[in-house]
Amino acid sequence: MLPVRCFSCGKVIASGYEEFKARVEAGEDKGQVLNDLGYSRYCCRRMLLSHIEMVDVIAPYQ
Amino acid sequence: MDIDIIELSKGSAKFVLSGTNPAFANGIRRAMIADVPTLAIEYVNLYDNTSVLYDEQLGLRLALVPLTTDGDYVPQSDCDCGAVDGVGCPNCEVSLRLDVEGPKMVYSGDFISADPKVRPADEKIPIVELKEGQRVMLEAIAHVGYGRDHVRWQAGVACGYKHLPTVEVEPCPECGNVLVECPEHAVFMARSIENLTEKDELKCIKCGNVRHIFDLTDPSLKVTYDQHTFVFSLESDGSYSASELILKAADVIKGRAQEFSDILKDL
Repeated sequence: MLPVRCFSCGKVIASGYEEFKARVEAGEDKGQVLNDLGYSRYCCRRMLLSHIEMVDVIAPYQ
Repeated sequence: MDIDIIELSKGSAKFVLSGTNPAFANGIRRAMIADVPTLAIEYVNLYDNTSVLYDEQLGLRLALVPLTTDGDYVPQSDCDCGAVDGVGCPNCEVSLRLDVEGPKMVYSGDFISADPKVRPADEKIPIVELKEGQRVMLEAIAHVGYGRDHVRWQAGVACGYKHLPTVEVEPCPECGNVLVECPEHAVFMARSIENLTEKDELKCIKCGNVRHIFDLTDPSLKVTYDQHTFVFSLESDGSYSASELILKAADVIKGRAQEFSDILKDL
């Protein structure tokens, strides 16, 4: 799961992740989506850009 | 002391504070980050958690969800009930329940709060994804706290200020290069040397890129900083609106000054 807040500045970022994911998968430019979502600082941007979703990997071993 | 608002929305603000000193500006900044009390989840009673996250991880995620804060609640340390081990009274704690069964994404909006005025500021924060047969049932207890103790109570996000730059330019043959060197024409709005003085100093990021064009002693371009004027920018995490946050930070400083003056009087 994406961390709820940005590690560096504390802005709540998790709420934009689903939109980010959906729009990037639809072929939009990542930087543009981040701008639209209002994540202007690079600390917040790296949170979304570098995230790897692990829930589906771990779930079978519960 | 004067305040000029440049931008003000629910979640963020930008303003120019003039006629004061760095100590006061920094005091406001620090108060917004650390000293404005907010509500956040501090204790979680877990009745069932078969999700992919450990209890502790789940607890951490819940704690970071900003809650809309109502002024009626007091920090436990100041409460008359004399809270022991985090168990307080209706004046100092709010209970939020969460009971979700998979397959479903659990959102912050799924919380059922005991007080309708206290609810997650953002309803779309994913807490955990539940697969078939997984379940989360818990009761979260929110307390009032301060940002200096933990990030969960930090109301102001990315609060910062800079001195107001003053840029003075006398058009000269080198000035065309200034336009190029200034990042994305941030300060110099003009596209030609003739009207180079048309500038937006608020956008200056003190990059210093133009220094290699001009000798620092060259009078054609002078960048100085007004030591008594500050360009503030801040965001709120959602527990308060940006304007409320600024006002509360000012109240905190006022309260402290009052306390200090009372102590001095008693000496």
